[in-house]
Amino acid sequence: MSPAAAVLPFVIYLLLIAALPLVAGRFWDHNRNKLAVALAAGLPVAIYLIVAAPHGAEALADTAREYATFMSLLGALFVIAGGIFLRGALAGTPAVNTALLAAGALLANAIGTTGASALLIRPLLRANAHRRHGRHLVIFFIFIVSNGGGLLTPLGDPPLFLGFLRGVPFTWTLRLAAPWASVNLALLAVFFIVDRWHTRRDPPPPRAPDREPLRIEGKLNLVWLLGAAATVYVLGTFGPRWSGSAALQIAALIAFAALSLATTARRIHEANRFSWAPIQEVAVVFVGIFLTMVPALSFMQDHGASLGLTRPWQFFWAAGALSSVLDNAPTYLTFASLATGVVNAAGGQLSVHDLGALAAHPAGHQLLEAVSCGSVFMGAMTYIGNGPNFMVKAIAEQHHVRMPGFFGYLGWSIAILVPVLAAMAIVEL
Amino acid sequence: MEILVCLEGSASTARAVDVAMALARALPATLVGLAIVDEPDIVAGAATSIGGASFRKQRDAALLEDAHGQAVAWLAAFVARGRAAGISVRALELAGRPAERILEQVPSHDLVMLGRDVNFRFETQETDRYTRDRILRRAGKPVIVVPETPAPAGAAAMIAYDGSPAATRALSSFARCGLARDRDVHVATVDDDGATAFEIATRGCQLLGKLGVRAVPENVVSTESTTRALLARCAALGAGWIVLGGYVPSPLARLVWGSVTHDLLEHTAVPVFLHY
Repeated sequence: MSPAAAVLPFVIYLLLIAALPLVAGRFWDHNRNKLAVALAAGLPVAIYLIVAAPHGAEALADTAREYATFMSLLGALFVIAGGIFLRGALAGTPAVNTALLAAGALLANAIGTTGASALLIRPLLRANAHRRHGRHLVIFFIFIVSNGGGLLTPLGDPPLFLGFLRGVPFTWTLRLAAPWASVNLALLAVFFIVDRWHTRRDPPPPRAPDREPLRIEGKLNLVWLLGAAATVYVLGTFGPRWSGSAALQIAALIAFAALSLATTARRIHEANRFSWAPIQEVAVVFVGIFLTMVPALSFMQDHGASLGLTRPWQFFWAAGALSSVLDNAPTYLTFASLATGVVNAAGGQLSVHDLGALAAHPAGHQLLEAVSCGSVFMGAMTYIGNGPNFMVKAIAEQHHVRMPGFFGYLGWSIAILVPVLAAMAIVEL
Repeated sequence: MEILVCLEGSASTARAVDVAMALARALPATLVGLAIVDEPDIVAGAATSIGGASFRKQRDAALLEDAHGQAVAWLAAFVARGRAAGISVRALELAGRPAERILEQVPSHDLVMLGRDVNFRFETQETDRYTRDRILRRAGKPVIVVPETPAPAGAAAMIAYDGSPAATRALSSFARCGLARDRDVHVATVDDDGATAFEIATRGCQLLGKLGVRAVPENVVSTESTTRALLARCAALGAGWIVLGGYVPSPLARLVWGSVTHDLLEHTAVPVFLHY
């Protein structure tokens, strides 16, 4: 198998993940079928790595460890966020809605975009249940809470956590505060205007003199959340000096998830409609991604310079365009590897296994910033760009919000998100 | 006689039920209420993000349950109202693509009643012009389309007649259904030349005469569009019904050539009897 051919399973697998729900929905519904597809794409690559690739077995072992760490964090955040419930009702006014989205943008950096989305989407829908025009609320929620908000920490969005697992310092993403603030503030401002315009066309909210005050249930989960975040920060930052740190990190995250399960009342899980199915699906699908991406990322490192992308803005739009239609986590790693290749072509000696070096490189950090922004922000372009997007859409539809179809949503993204991102890219990149 | 009444939640369907009840008493006729659960559109394959499949299943199940619940409620209200009024009524709930399911039922009924703004795909779409237009084009039987606005009290009917086979078919089936019975019927023809319009309208009246219906010819000469001219004459006559023939076969043809039938349907405040 030539190195270029070794990339094919990765490309084909990502395309299958995007296409199969559409063309073979019933088949894709079952996790065992997903696993079969993941293994069909991944096993040939694993065999190739063990049998033919130099240091392939070592790379495979690293990947297995990376997968376990990645899933333990996603799983822990999923379980802990599922144990927190916002009870009570908010007034669905433009100011309150905007504040809720802003809070979601901040919260996403602590519990991930999926956790923040799961926690806040129902309160937002409840607050605005009386309104005739509700789809803009959900669309901006996906733009801000499910995607753009999670740019500031590796906990925020899976692509950034993958970068962290490959050596990007925990606090490095804070460098992205300017693009984070400019994009999210611009989106919040546009949202406020759009929401105010719709509010005038909607019936007034029903009088609710004894509206139930907003309160958090499952507060103990905030402690477990803090523990999980501290574990990731401490062991992820200082752990690489010690060989057992990955195992300890996985064990600690599983422990915090178990504590959350043990201390959360069943009614909170029921209120959140907590189920293992989403995280099981993520675990199964990412088996294929992690297996197939090993040679693909090496190929990008070796041949990245020949693909013609050299400038940060090019990386931003290219990573963003692919993140729009494929999941943004593997896309992030692909373009980070490509950036490594570009830096190496200019005399660097970087490795795709140590993106921390790319983040510290004078030219490389600009490329990594562009890749991070493109992957995170443009994961919001479609329902399939980032994990929580479709979850939010499905929950909204259960609350009788008629969401636009795939292309209708894309139209909103092109009309609102792309101009905001273009302005940010011109100023920041 | 059996009238198929297509039920969903719009205001125009509520008005269509009013009209159907009144017709059932007058003709008399049996009413068959039909509610559709649009299962294919609800569970249609959709691009999902990783981790989204279980949410899609939850969402599909919730929407199907809601659609079924709504159908049951509409049918129960329809049957209760019919029985209270002493009208013979039946209820039918079907799952499938709305247009196809309704068209399957059309051959075994004499008339179809539709609200103008029906949305059988209410779980997934804001509006559903597709289903209504497809039924109008494919029914092959008279369809009564009822707007949401309260109809004027007038019992008169105005038949828009241009001498075409479609208009003749509509005129004939309106008479044969018994809907022309006990009401004033006017046959209106629009033309730049008043004499020609009168001649065509008179021909329509003669056709109705052969079917035992007396009608008055109305020649309409106007500088306004045909649609506006007919609506103005309808209002002047105090007509509570408009009878139309023909329906432009496709949205593309409508875009290119326009359609008086479509425009009248969209703007009239009274029920429209259509036979394409």
